[in-house]
Amino acid sequence: MSSLDTIPVCTEVATGNVEPLLHEIRHALKRLAEGKEGTVIDLKRLPLAPGEEERIAATLGTGEVRAEIDALGPTLIQETSYPGVWLITHKNADDVVVARFVEVTYIPELLRSQQADIDAGINRLENELKN
Amino acid sequence: MRKDQNLGEYLRMQGVSRRGFLKFCSATASLMALPPSAVSQVAEALATARRPSVIWMSFQECTGCTESLTRSHAPTLESLIFDAISLDYHHTLQAAAGHGAEAAREAAMEENKGEYILVVDGSIPNGNNGYSTIAGISNHDMLIEAAENCFAIVAVGTCAAFGGLPNADPNPTGAVSVSEIIKDKPIINVSGCPPIPVVITGVLAHFLTFGTIPELDALGRPVAFFGQNIHDRCYRRPFYERGQFAETFDDEGARKGWCLYKLGCKGPTTYNACATLKWNQGTSFPIQSGHGCIGCSEPRFWDKGGFYDPISAGQWGSRDALLGAAAAGAALGVGSALAARARKKKAQAAEEI
Amino acid sequence: MTLLEFASGPGLQWALWIFVFGITWRVVGAVFLLSRKDISKPRHTNTISAGLGAVWSRSSPARAFEKKIRFQHVTGYAWHFALFISVLFFAPHILFFESVLGFSWPHLPNTIILITAIVATAVLIALLIRRATHPVQRFISNADDYISIFVVLVPLVTGILAFTHFGARYETLLAVHLLSVEVMLIWFPFGKLMHMIMTIPARFQAGTAFGRRGVKA
Repeated sequence: MSSLDTIPVCTEVATGNVEPLLHEIRHALKRLAEGKEGTVIDLKRLPLAPGEEERIAATLGTGEVRAEIDALGPTLIQETSYPGVWLITHKNADDVVVARFVEVTYIPELLRSQQADIDAGINRLENELKN
Repeated sequence: MRKDQNLGEYLRMQGVSRRGFLKFCSATASLMALPPSAVSQVAEALATARRPSVIWMSFQECTGCTESLTRSHAPTLESLIFDAISLDYHHTLQAAAGHGAEAAREAAMEENKGEYILVVDGSIPNGNNGYSTIAGISNHDMLIEAAENCFAIVAVGTCAAFGGLPNADPNPTGAVSVSEIIKDKPIINVSGCPPIPVVITGVLAHFLTFGTIPELDALGRPVAFFGQNIHDRCYRRPFYERGQFAETFDDEGARKGWCLYKLGCKGPTTYNACATLKWNQGTSFPIQSGHGCIGCSEPRFWDKGGFYDPISAGQWGSRDALLGAAAAGAALGVGSALAARARKKKAQAAEEI
Repeated sequence: MTLLEFASGPGLQWALWIFVFGITWRVVGAVFLLSRKDISKPRHTNTISAGLGAVWSRSSPARAFEKKIRFQHVTGYAWHFALFISVLFFAPHILFFESVLGFSWPHLPNTIILITAIVATAVLIALLIRRATHPVQRFISNADDYISIFVVLVPLVTGILAFTHFGARYETLLAVHLLSVEVMLIWFPFGKLMHMIMTIPARFQAGTAFGRRGVKA
């Protein structure tokens, strides 16, 4: 993919979708702070001009938490400089982005250990101890 | 994957954790154009989903649709979807050939009677069946046979959906779409020349997840992907509003990425997901690459006037015909004036008497 | 054939043929009526300046009536001005004219066109309501007036809808817009819309005739 990346793309184009998205995030954050439920925004479903997704990420900045999950390829979970706003990038085994979300929540669901995995883990540990 | 296994069990056996599964579901929901809030619903449905049998038939086509699909941008997740369906017949992708392949097709059809999904790419020559045959069977007969006991048909590509390029004037093979032959089965048209690969898998994922037909538009296309026109979702739209157009493909406007309306872009009358899903790992789509939309997901896109004629330019015929109309009008004008004069003279003459 | 294909193909063809045929018929017919010889002795010979004078003087109301017809005066100009801007300076329209005429001219931003189109529509509706309610106007109006207003109003409304993608899918709205324009083109030569072509020559002709007779008007 490096050959595509080297083609210079004109990035001064703006759809005007970046600012409304940031406002949506602000509203979502306020709702979360009021004790209401969180919000997930699918970045791949917005019409964005070349470079705008990067601009959103740059505006949100990077915060204190950064986690990487290795399941069906890497997933990068980054808390942005606005606590409660997380940028989640799912990649496949070939390191290609397959989905990208902005999640407004206290902790992204994917970071929690999952019940099914815990159960499987108990089994494995018990088997380990039996041997 | 065994046929009696559901997808959840299968993935666990493959060593995919619940986290991995949730990630798969998020990406699948995104793929199906569902809101992120639907992920838990998708997870629940997918965990217990049964593996549908898919029979893929290629008729009068160029294999571009299959090429597009095999280059879709999420190999791992896609392969999971493909593992999750049972692709029992696809003559480009399968290893089997000859009688063995046809036997596999017949066996799959018999075994999954009433439940299998029939995917068709390519149009069907309806004039002379000899134009396209597989194993000595005409496309027409094979389609009718395969459609009889299917659950639904997915017409992949503009050829299967609307007749496409083979159907273009003067249509020497009498090519028609699937829906012109099969009338009694649900048909989902996934048009495009080729269709966006993730739209093909998105529709398959919808079957896999919900086992139902997605909501369709008037042309039988899934609303989730074909609900909005390119123009409405185009990042160059602000230039249209401001009246900033590229006049040629190499002028200042083209370099600045202005609107391509004047260069014949068919974005306003074309419904597809190119502007958001894009192509080649989400890299770009035709308009982003500097060429107007040619409307390849619309019926008869090949015969709707030039790709480089603006939408608002009319097919008004020849100047000669207009001059002819003017000449006829002038003749009638002169004639009626002379007639009026003659009437007046006659009236005057009558008065003088 | 879809509605849009019909509207931008055969529909447009026939409408243009009838439009051109009708206009040449009426114009040629009118020109032939002029050929009557005036055998009286002219009071003035510079009839061209008299004709131009009439074209100019009739472009604004006589002072005596100014107050009484101010509404029509202002709205009339606003309507025509807004209509001309909307029709002649919208980029897709210019592309259409270019495809027929073979040449083009600069366009205006869409926001301006949207404003002029809304102004034109609002003014025309106001004038239509006045025509239908004002006792004198009502009395002097006939079917031709209402039809002519209607066939111009519909393209304006459908044009705004098509532009804003409001109410239906764009290709349907565009097709309806084109069809409404075609209806207008077909009606044009046979109704009062012909004033677009006849007004200035008619004023000029009246002016020259008056000038020759020495009438100051």
